[in-house]
Amino acid sequence: MPIAIKLALRTIARRKGRMALIGSLVAFGTFLIVFGSIFASSTASASRAAIIGKFTGDFIVYSARSKELPSPFAFQTPLPPIRDLERVETALDAVPEIAAYAPYAQNYGVVQARRDGRTFDLPIIYYAIDPVSYAKVFGALKSVEGDYFGLSADGIAAEGKARGGVMVSAFQNAQYKKNYGVELRAGEDVTVLGVTEGGVNSARSTVSGVFVPERYASVFNYINFMDASTYAAVYNYSGVSSLPESLDKSLAKADSGEDAIFALASDPGAGTVDVSSLKAERLSGATMIAVRLKPGASAKDAIARIESDPSLGVRVAAWSEASGFYAQVSAGLQAFVLVATALVFLVVAMIFMNTLIINVTERTTEIGTMRAIGAERSFVRDVFLAESLALNMAAAAVGLVASGVAALAFSRSGVTLPDVVSQFLVGGGSIPIRATPWPFVAGALVVALVSVLATLYPVRVATGITPLKAMSGR
Amino acid sequence: MPVVELRSVKKEYTLGTTKVEALRGVDLEIERGEFLAIAGPSGSGKSTMLNMFGCIDAPTSGTVLIDGVDVARLSDRELTRYRREKIGFIFQSFNLIPVLDVYENVEFPLLLKKELSKKDRESLVMRFIAEVGLSDRLRNKPDELSGGQRQRVAIARALVTKPLIVLADEPTANLDSDTGTKIVELMRQINELERTTFIFSTHDARIMREAKRLVRIEDGRIVDPGIGSPAKEA
Repeated sequence: MPIAIKLALRTIARRKGRMALIGSLVAFGTFLIVFGSIFASSTASASRAAIIGKFTGDFIVYSARSKELPSPFAFQTPLPPIRDLERVETALDAVPEIAAYAPYAQNYGVVQARRDGRTFDLPIIYYAIDPVSYAKVFGALKSVEGDYFGLSADGIAAEGKARGGVMVSAFQNAQYKKNYGVELRAGEDVTVLGVTEGGVNSARSTVSGVFVPERYASVFNYINFMDASTYAAVYNYSGVSSLPESLDKSLAKADSGEDAIFALASDPGAGTVDVSSLKAERLSGATMIAVRLKPGASAKDAIARIESDPSLGVRVAAWSEASGFYAQVSAGLQAFVLVATALVFLVVAMIFMNTLIINVTERTTEIGTMRAIGAERSFVRDVFLAESLALNMAAAAVGLVASGVAALAFSRSGVTLPDVVSQFLVGGGSIPIRATPWPFVAGALVVALVSVLATLYPVRVATGITPLKAMSGR
Repeated sequence: MPVVELRSVKKEYTLGTTKVEALRGVDLEIERGEFLAIAGPSGSGKSTMLNMFGCIDAPTSGTVLIDGVDVARLSDRELTRYRREKIGFIFQSFNLIPVLDVYENVEFPLLLKKELSKKDRESLVMRFIAEVGLSDRLRNKPDELSGGQRQRVAIARALVTKPLIVLADEPTANLDSDTGTKIVELMRQINELERTTFIFSTHDARIMREAKRLVRIEDGRIVDPGIGSPAKEA
């Protein structure tokens, strides 16, 4: 064994109390950085899976006319409908990466229920969905009363015909009970009212069921579901295939501000539209299409294929854009873990550096003696580097093993956090831990790097000790 | 050619705002194989002179020649190599490496030289440990040895590289009288056996008597170079 390493190991053994303390700190720091990274990356992965699986799909196709990004919270400013849904669906069918897609819309209105001759107007916000395609992308809603639009799992797989109606969340129903003294019941007839530009439309419907959300209860407790045919009946969607060019140009001017909008009144392009010349077109009302990709398929390729045809009149938002701050929460957590572990290591490095400086000071005569009898500065440097690396890498190994054991233990049960936290991170429930080799490799590298950096100054002090110090060591 | 030659060597230190003249123009020549003591009261400049011989301190002015080489011209790395090859050190406080045992302490300078095979190293180490009478203490750590035994280890360590000069800074100061005498006797035997030059500082009169030459120094000046006057008669 090289003498520098022998000296380093023997010195560690000789000062075992102090070294054990430092080693414990390094082991704890290593555990924090490795398990913290595993936790953060597992959370990010679970968050991504939950958002994609229950919230947005891999990406959302929406109207190119929209000035807003699609969002699960876009109820106050509904997006414009996708104009030619059938054509867009045909285009999506031709994209080989796509496994399933679900057109849907967000809106709000009123559900009228009757009890004992009284009518109760119950406000409701909802997703309007095609139950079969929605279930294929996000899974069927879990009913606690009634059923999912009359569809069984087999029915969904066989793309059976859904029963029209409304599904209300159990939480929402409890709110109705609390605020209006009435609950909706599966199977009861209701009237759905929607506010349109022409006034208020209504459609007869049925409460299909009451559900509890599997994920993101903090969002989906407040969101209810309506089948697309009921929605179309409420809003009676239709439009025109294209506006006269002169009107388009005039409307474009209105983008510049309020004065420009009022100026439209005297604009001949905007004021002289021949309505009889407009060609009628059926609109679906769907404002978004959530798309799920086949396993391993490239979202980038799929998006490129969709966007290659501008005539579809759609744009694409990735899941991370569409999920609002939910995606940012897990990114923020990762950043927090990074900063926290960096701070822990900074503190450990400072303590370690101070301990090494104390060691150097206590060993001034010893170092001076080695220098006097012919040890070069590089030898002294090697002794301290070996000491630092041997101690820290041994401590890091303990930290790595502890992280591995913790990751293994939590890979079975998952990490359970307070519901309010897990709702934000992964939409609720425990966080499954998935360890990859990378945090372990990174942890070992970080400890090695910090060891070397924290040793630089003490080494500088040690190599600055002259052989004269051997003579003064009396 | 003298193994050590000082020409008009001066050494000044600054302690706070006070300038201290440790050596005030010292001229001295020491021949190969001498067994020489430098004597003088505390603060007289003994240790400073020894530091010059050991290439671990440089003069403010003047020239220090070790084996004919002006050591002021050597870089730090060359000085280190020069010390490793030419000089052995025996310290007042023994200065053994506490985590190494007797064998390893004696072997240490040879490991720094990196020139010998393990077998040759072992042979040399065992020979010098035997010479200092510690063959039965090979695996003892310094804190398991008496003061005299530690100094014997230090002597073996100083000799194992077969240096030109062995410098001993008050080698008996931390030892009782009998042990000190035995240590000096041991050094003298080795001097006669190996023809190694021994230079040691002391202010112990009994130790001075063992020296073949006694150089007296006071206030940074050599007051008696000891030439032609054996120490025992001094």
